[in-house]
Order: sequence, then C-alpha cells, then structure tokens
Amino acid sequence: MTKEEAFSQAGKTAVLQNIHGTMTFLQKYPPFNSMEPSHLAWMVEHCQLRFYSKGESIISPQEGVVQDFYIVKQGLIRGERLIPGQETPDTTFEIGVGECFPLAALVGERATRTEHIASEDCFCLTLPRVHFIKLFKLSMVFRDFALRGVSSLLDQVNQQAQAQAAEQLGEQYSLETRLDELANRAPVTCQPDTPVREAVKHMHEASVGSIIITDQRLRPQGIFTLRDLRAMVADGDIGLDAEIRQVMTASPFHLSPAHTAFDAAIAMTSRHIAHVCVVKDDILVGVLSERDLFSLQRVDLVHLARTIRQAADVEALEAMREDIRRLAESMLAHGASSTQITRIITLLNDHTVCRVIELCIEKHGEPAVPFTWLVFGSEGRSEQTLHTDQDNGMLFEAESAAQAEQLRQQLLPLADRINHALAQCGFTLCKGNIMANNPELCLSRAEWGQRFDKFIRTTTPENLLSSSIYFDFRVVWGDASGAQELFDGVLRKVANNTLFQNRMAQNALMFRPPIGRFRDFVLARSGAEKDTLDLKTQGLTPFVDGARVLALANGISECNTIERFRQLCDAGVIEPLDAGAYEEAYHFIQLIRMQQHQKQARSGEPFSNRVDPDTLNHLDRRILRESFRQAKRLQSSLALRYQL
Amino acid sequence: MNALAWLPQLRAPKLTAEQIARRAALPPIQPLDDTSLDDTRLVVLDLETSGLNVHRDLILSIGAVAIEQGVIHFGKQFERTLYRANHPLTETVLIHGISPSEIEQGGAAAATLLDFMEFAGQCVFLAYHAPFDQRMLTRGLRLDLGHKLRHKFIDVAELAPMLCPEAELGRASLDDWAGYFRLNNSQRHNAAADAMITAEIALILLSKARAQGITTLAQLHTRLGHWRQLRQARNAGV
Repeated sequence: MTKEEAFSQAGKTAVLQNIHGTMTFLQKYPPFNSMEPSHLAWMVEHCQLRFYSKGESIISPQEGVVQDFYIVKQGLIRGERLIPGQETPDTTFEIGVGECFPLAALVGERATRTEHIASEDCFCLTLPRVHFIKLFKLSMVFRDFALRGVSSLLDQVNQQAQAQAAEQLGEQYSLETRLDELANRAPVTCQPDTPVREAVKHMHEASVGSIIITDQRLRPQGIFTLRDLRAMVADGDIGLDAEIRQVMTASPFHLSPAHTAFDAAIAMTSRHIAHVCVVKDDILVGVLSERDLFSLQRVDLVHLARTIRQAADVEALEAMREDIRRLAESMLAHGASSTQITRIITLLNDHTVCRVIELCIEKHGEPAVPFTWLVFGSEGRSEQTLHTDQDNGMLFEAESAAQAEQLRQQLLPLADRINHALAQCGFTLCKGNIMANNPELCLSRAEWGQRFDKFIRTTTPENLLSSSIYFDFRVVWGDASGAQELFDGVLRKVANNTLFQNRMAQNALMFRPPIGRFRDFVLARSGAEKDTLDLKTQGLTPFVDGARVLALANGISECNTIERFRQLCDAGVIEPLDAGAYEEAYHFIQLIRMQQHQKQARSGEPFSNRVDPDTLNHLDRRILRESFRQAKRLQSSLALRYQL
Repeated sequence: MNALAWLPQLRAPKLTAEQIARRAALPPIQPLDDTSLDDTRLVVLDLETSGLNVHRDLILSIGAVAIEQGVIHFGKQFERTLYRANHPLTETVLIHGISPSEIEQGGAAAATLLDFMEFAGQCVFLAYHAPFDQRMLTRGLRLDLGHKLRHKFIDVAELAPMLCPEAELGRASLDDWAGYFRLNNSQRHNAAADAMITAEIALILLSKARAQGITTLAQLHTRLGHWRQLRQARNAGV
C-alpha cells in the first residue's frame, strides 16, 4: 500500500464511523437485522438523510412513479387515502421508526396509492430507486422482504416461536411435519391367511402395537392391534391358530404421505383410533401410531379424547379441563398455529359436550324425542380458546305447534341438566342466557326457521346482534340433517335480502381496530383498563363479523372465519392476497390472545382479552399493529362494497 | 502581484508541484448572494483541535458532511486525522479520543487539507460555533498550504436560536440542541459524528427557514445580521 492509499484508507475508516452508526441503528429492525453486513453497508453508503417537518407530504399519488425507498429514522409517518364519497381522508396505516415504505409501489414501479405524511417531525433515510433495484438484486434477504412485505415478518414470528419452543423442549417437533417424515420405518405386515399366533410374534419381535394385513401387492386389507388381541383373548371364542382375517379390522383408516402430523392427530382423536396407515397410490408405505405422534408430548391428545369419551361421570370430565389446558400449552410451545390449537380445543370441547350429553341422558332417561345439540358463536365457528362461554340450543322435529310445545316441556329439564353439567366442566354459563334450557332456544325445526326468518326480515339492532351469534352455527351432537336444511334456508333468504346484508355490514364496522392517527395504538385512557386494548372485540371481531357478512351474502355455509376467507377467495369474492393477509392477521391476533390466556391460567388470574402492548416484544408489537391495519382494511372494503 | 509575496516564502510550506497545481485549481467560493438555499452546497464542518487557543493550537481532525438540495448524502462525507509530529498528549485526547497513534496514521497536514478543500468545493460552511472553526481552518490553511480561506461561514449556534426562539435555548451547546430535537448519536465527540449531528440540526433549521420565508443565502445572511443586532441591543438593555 502506498502512503497515499494508506491515507485515503485512514480517511475511509473514519467516514465509516457514521455509516457504522447508522448500520447499528438499522440492525435493530427487520429486514436489516438479517441482511449481510456488507450489503447493509452498501445500502447506507448510498442513502441520503432527509428531514420532514410535521404535516409535510413525503410522497403522494400525484407525483408519479416512486423514486425513492424510505426508512424512518426518527418520527412517525401516516398514510392517507381518500375514500370515494368521504370528505376527509382515512389514515390507512402508520409507519414508525425502523419501518420502510413504499414497498409495493417501488416493486411495482408505479406511483403510491396513499399519500405519506409526516405525523411528527421525521428523519428518513432514502435510497434512490436505481440503488434500491441494485440492492434488490444484491441481497436475497432484502428481496424477500420487499416482495413479501409484511408476510415475511409474520413468518419470522412463527420461526421465532418455534425456535423458542425447540429450545424449551429440546426437540424439534412440529404438527406440520409430513407423515412420510414421521412414519419412516418399514411397516410390520402379514397376509390375511397368517395365523394370529404368528402375526403377534411379528409384532412382538418388532415391538410394535399393530400389524397391517395386506394383499400380495401391499395394499392394506385390515389392521390388527394389541387392543384387538386383548379383546380376542378375553372373548375366548377364536383361538390363536385362527387366520388373522377373522379378527382384523377391515379397511383401516389411511392418510397420504403429504398429510401432516396434525391431520393424523385429528383423525385419531375424532375416530378413536390409535394407528393410521400411510398409503401412497393404494400401497402401504408406513404406519403411524399415537405413540409416534405424541412421544414428545407429555399430554396425549388421543388419550385425552378417549378418556373424555369414556369418563364415568361429570366430575371426571371436570378434572380433565386442566389436561386440556396443558395440551394447548404444549401445542403452543411446539409452534402449532392458533388455528390448529383452537381446532383441537374445539374438538376436545365437542367430545366433552357429547360425553356430558350422554351422561345426562343416562341419568335422566331417554328423551321423549331425538334432539340435535346446536352450538353458536365461537363454538359454532370452531374457534374456542380456553376462555369459553356456553352458547347452545336444541333442535327437534315436531308436526305441529302444540306438539312442539309439549316436546319442549319434556326436553327442557334435560337441557337444564346438560347446561349445568357443562358449567361444572368449565363452560361458563352464558350471561345472555343463550342456552338450550332457555325455552326460546329449545325449538322445533319449524320454530327455529321462523326465528331465523325474523332476524333476517326485521333488522333491529337486537336482531342483528342475534344474527351475529346464531348464524355461526354448528351441530355437535345428534342428527345433523335437519339443522343443515335449516341453515340452507337461512343462506337462501340472506342472499335475497340486500337490506339485511347492508345492516350486517354496518354492524361489522362497529368495533374499530385500535390504531390511531398519532400514536401507534389507541389504548383505554383510564380505569382498570388503562393503557390496554381488547384483542377480542377490537382485533378479532372485525374479521369475524366481516367474514360472516360476506359468507352469508355469498351462500357459504362454513362458519369458521379462516375457512370463510378461503372459500370467499375461491368464490372470487375477495382477492387471494387480501384473503391471505386477513388470515395471517387473524391468526396472529388470536395467537397473542392465546399466549396471554395461557399466562393467565398459569398464574391463576382470571382470563382477560385486554393486553398492554408495551408488554409485547418489539416484533410482536409491530405485527400486531400491522394485523390491526388489516382489520381496518377489511372494514374499509366492506364500507366500499356496501356503500356505508 | 502582491508586493509582499516574498514574505511568506520564508516560512512557506513545502508543497509538491502537483499540490501547488491543485491548490491553484481550487474552485471559487460561494458568496452569500441570491442563490437559493436549496441550490447551495452546504458543508457542515467540525474540527477537532489540540486545544482551544486559535493562535497556538492545531487541527487534529476534520469531519464534514455535505448538504445538497436539502439532503444529506451518506456517500459524501469527509473525515481525516492530520499528521502532526510530536503531538503532545493533552486533555483534548481525552475529550476527542484521538490518540497520538491515530494522529501518526493521519494524512500529512498539507495533503489532507488540500483533499478537504477539494471536497468542500464551492460551498458555504456551516458549523456550531463557526467563528472558532473558521479561525482554526484559516490558520491551518495558511500555515500548511499557504492558502487564504475566503469561504463564508454560517454559525449554527446563531441560526438555531434565531429560527427556533420557542426553544428558549440562548447560549446552548450542540448537545442541548441535539436533545431539544431528540436526536440521538452514540459516537459523540468524534469529528464525523459531530458534523453529522450538526448537519441533522441544519436540515431541521433549513426546513424552518423555508417555513419562515427565507429562501436565499442573502436573506439568511440579512436575517442573521438583524437578529445579532437585536440580541446585542437586548443584552445592552439589561
């Protein structure tokens, strides 16, 4: 190195101190925290620093194709969009320190659709478009971030949650694992004419609990398990030298290698089986036992479901609530998504409800008429968390109003017994009295039909509220066909009634997501709820209500919010990108809510949906804010669609 | 030809022919005329020196950040330490954290100052307590480069209270203003970082100037003159 070069090198190192300082600042925020330092340094060297005083417009739709990429160094920026027919523009989002904009416009090489305005005095780092494009090519992390926007942030949270879980439990285990990864041992098989004694010997040698009976081409014909062996010995009718085809369970349940551990867990739980065959193109490729699936979990889902279905009395069911809580906790720790967990909780709750009904019928005696047990609200949507109210009703068939009244009087005492037994099991009695022991909710099919008609025809606030509860509707026990016909009728009537749709949409705008113009979250100002926001009413309800009105209006009978979004997307009612964003945002708010409930359950506090955003980590806060923004977007699109 | 041109020859710095040519090619200065503030190249300067005596102490390092079109360019920054033989270990080492070994590595004074003046170009200098930096640089250029500094200086320590009277920071330090504008800078008391924070304050002040209808260098200069008189009158009144 010549002296000249040495000098200029010394100068360069010194200049790097400012570059370095800016890099250190950026490295606190995604995606910069995962970018190669050399790429980040390159970016900073090509950045400019600009100041915007409060109220100054930074970029606006009139300025044409966006020329710079912006990173907020200090201050807060808001996006304003003029919604047709509205006088003042809506704040559609807020961008805080460490966040960037306008990604979509830059990637799409177009003007921004939203005017960006400094909400307070701001400093922004700006990167000219040519350099943005170069960085886009240079850094994969940056490209990923720019292309996927907020979704990649959500991915990071999930990765973080799973990494934490792995650390905690010392094992990597996800319910999304494909079955071909889990069931990778060669299955133990035999032919249908194999003597039972020989088959059991195979099982013993391989120390497995089941053997699959296949034909010559390895197509599964039946399954024989240790439980079958026990029953066979206890019966004593068939000897060990008999052919196994006589004692096997024919046509065993199977899944494909592409199914996940979660699918297998659900199948085992709902079908009361302990083994699932993995079959590809009709050929047996593996067997998955509940032991394979849950060897790493302390609480055994399948076992739990089975214990619930076999519980001798309500007290035993009551004792199992704690196990359900522990299972949910362990799933959360294993990185299961909030949807998976709510589905499992709902599934176990369904089993509990069914068992309670069976136990009550045992004590009460057979009812005068077969009935169907309906559930509404979050239970109807299969979105239950540990914090669960009862919302249920009974449906039965009657030929006349008089007969309906007579049957109702006979059913009500049983309904009352069921409601109270459920309360004992931890399903809080409904404050609004939406329970089967309420004579207004123990109705014949015709009476339910009239009741629902009234909701749709007369849109009083009270009826709208009822619609939002009763039209999230599912059968848990009893014959489902009558209920299905009833609901098909509801869908037909809603489709023809634009006034009802309109009022439902209006109703869906009632709860506003808690993001404001000047601060990142709008929080309760005083009282016991000071500095907190409500994850359920302010975060989840806008999605639930929005999905409901769109689903009902478009003839979708599914009640689960995520499923509604998916089907709305399939039906072309909403854009795939929007559906994905709503789904992710909904998942995330639900996840935060469940983590909070778990914490409260552990420390013996009452369940609450209120959270102080300051108690969340930085990334969670940002994503929560983005999730609320998505709720706001959904509401804006409803307002536009229904011209509210 | 200057009649006394022979005088400095006695103590003239030893420059190479190439350096003399470069010195001669330095661009003219930017006068405080009707050039708009947006079109002016502003160079925010911070010098670290061996002490506070403008007659005796020496420049140890130069930090500078350019503002063009009201924007700071990260790629257009300057920082060098200057080579000084027998640099004594003084309290400024503790203040600025420039160790004698760092100074050893620095550029030879003449070469570095020439680089700096080329970086500065046709500009107006901004600095916090600008008269100090102006006198230090004037002396440094005279001694080490045989060059007369004619550039105009604007003092951010005057500009700030003039444009933000509501801050009620009369005789405040750079730190006070950084605190007032809620700027954070981890690496303070290093010439580059001090220049950067002064430049950030300058961006805010330029925005305020625009809001107050000051758009040209001349207007800014006039307003500063009035403000200075007003302040003196007030001080005299008290």
